[in-house]
Parts: sequence; C-alpha cells; structure tokens
Amino acid sequence: MALSIADLPKEDLFGPGHAGCGGCGAAVAGRQAMKALGSRTIVTIPASCMATLGGSNLKTTWQSPFYHTLFEMAPAVSSGIRAALEAQGIEDVNVVSWAGDAGTADIGFQSLTGAAERNEHMIHVCYDNEMYMNTGGQTGSQTPMYAITSNMTKGKTIKKKNMLAIMEAHGIDYVASASIAYPLDLIAKFKKAIEKPGFSYIHILAPCHRGWQIPPEKTIEFARLAVESGLFELYEVEDGNRTRNYEPPFIPVENYLLPQGRFKNLTQEAIQGIQTSVNKHYGRGE
Amino acid sequence: MAKNLPVVPTAKAGSLAEVPAGITWRIQQPVILETCNMCLDCTLFCPDGALVQQNSKIVLKLNLCKGCGICANECKENAIQMIPEYSGVQGVFR
Repeated sequence: MALSIADLPKEDLFGPGHAGCGGCGAAVAGRQAMKALGSRTIVTIPASCMATLGGSNLKTTWQSPFYHTLFEMAPAVSSGIRAALEAQGIEDVNVVSWAGDAGTADIGFQSLTGAAERNEHMIHVCYDNEMYMNTGGQTGSQTPMYAITSNMTKGKTIKKKNMLAIMEAHGIDYVASASIAYPLDLIAKFKKAIEKPGFSYIHILAPCHRGWQIPPEKTIEFARLAVESGLFELYEVEDGNRTRNYEPPFIPVENYLLPQGRFKNLTQEAIQGIQTSVNKHYGRGE
Repeated sequence: MAKNLPVVPTAKAGSLAEVPAGITWRIQQPVILETCNMCLDCTLFCPDGALVQQNSKIVLKLNLCKGCGICANECKENAIQMIPEYSGVQGVFR
C-alpha cells in the first residue's frame, strides 16, 4: 500500500513557530516524523538543536509531550517511560528518543547500546547533520572524511562511523536509514517502526545549511543529492533481511561534494577515492 | 482505559506559534502561482509548516514563514516564486 501526501494528517504536532534557523533540516525531519507518530507519542530529547528549537520551558512548539533529558541518557529515559507506561497498563503510546548525531553515536552511545541490548519497546531516531551544530559545528564521529568543521579547519582525517551497521549488529527489530528529501519513504519507515514490539533505530540524514555551508533553500536538495550519489544509502533491515528502498542513479559524487563549503579543500584524488569506495560498497555481495 | 497524556506542564502546547520570533529574519517570501498542481510536496518540505492545504489550494501562513526558500527550490512546477520582503529605493515594507 503506497502512502500519499493527501492521506497524511493535516495538523502539525511539531513545527509551527519553532526557534530554529530558516531552512532547518532537523525541523523538516521532525515535522515529517510526527505525521507518522501521531499525538499519542512521548518524545525524549537530549541536548541538541532539536531541544532548543522545540522551545524553552515557557513556550513550546510541540503538541505532544516531550522531555528534555541530559545529554547522555535519552534512550535510558525512554526505557523508563516505557516501563512506567507498562506498569500503568497504557499500551497505545509511542515512546521515541530523538537525538542528534552526538546524542546517538558519541556521547549518548552507552545508553543507546544498553536500550538496544535490552530490546526496549521504543524508537530511537538519530537526525544526522554530520556535525555538532548546536555548539558551533565541531567534529564528531558522524562527520565525513575531509569535511571542514570549526575545530578541524583543514578537514577531518578519519572516516565517518557507520552507525547503521553498528545498530544492525545489535540484532534489534528494525533498523532503517531515511532522508528528508524522501518524505513518504521516511513516514512509511516510522509507521513500520511503530508496529514493532522491540527496539527500532532510524537514522535520518538532515542537512544543516550553516554547517555544510550551503544556501538555506538547498537543504532538501543536498539531502537528495547525498542519496542519488550513493553516499547515503536508503535501506531497512527487518528481521535480518536487508532491503534497499531506493536504487540511486549514481550521479558523480563531486556534484554532491564540491558545492558544499565544508568540502572546499577536496583534492581530485580525494574525490576519486570517495567515488571508488561508493562503487565498491554498492558492488558488495551482488 | 488509557489515561490522557500529560502536556508539558509549564508551557501550553504549540505556544511558540503564537508569537514566532523567526519571521523577523525574513528577507523574502514565497508567492504561490496559478500553475500549482497540488502535489503537496511543499507542505512536507517546509520546515515551519507555513504552507498548508486548504480547500484544494495551498495557503501560505505568513506569520510562520521564515523565508528560507526551500519551497520555491523544491517545487517541480516552478509554481512558487520568492519575492523580496522589502521593495523600492527606501525599502518599503510590502
């Protein structure tokens, strides 16, 4: 059954009046995800842009309950909320921990891996803008190689950590990657994750135009180029079966990399290396 | 029987939308043209929820729009144009 935009709920549970920049990729991801999650959702958010653009304690843009946790413990708090809901016999509530790439892959990883090991009934979302944008754009483990950040002005020298493969190795119920440029695919994946009785992990590529040094109106365009060039693969792993949801047309990676200000120091050899690794990755096991 | 969920205790849900701060940053605003074919893509791509479907047409909520231009860039029919917020030599507010 294919989704269509006309069937989606009209009300916005997150988004209107949020305090983020114009053209914020994280806000797009939040809006699209809440269309699938619905109003009976409890969201926990560690320190990230998503926490600040959701509002302070006096004003909020969320129409559903959200809880601002400390940095390293959003999945742990979500586990606790699920345990409390189970104790009260409430079953129709989705528990979501929504973290950035730092709250997922670096600082928040110990609580994430713990919750995944216990296979808690919850969804963890990583909105990945590939930098620590809330604190000014520092390098993190999700920053791709060669990208310029505020504390590595000549570009990162090590590769991006493959968070999806790490979560897949936990043997959890559902692992998926999504992109804000493919909203129906993203919403369908959230709807699938809701149905799962255990832990689901969804990794969303949500560009940050400030950190990537692109014009704000191109936020969605670069999320799409990342998928089309093959650098960000859209796939899901369900009960151990890996399905690719979108066959990319494989545009040259330089069309995606070179317009971004953070890759302005890229050499031709580096581009060749990235292109070779993309080709090698998609040839894997076929 | 499921209980009702608690709302954020100190803040009324959605209260940021009443006095949005971000719209003061706007330097351009979208105009929806006649050629719109109601694909509704822009309603999902807008970060602020400023474009909504109302009675078979797309309506812009100007009090939410930050003027980022994603809608104009993503529209396949080129049915959304960005126009400057200020015009004229003295910068007259439109």
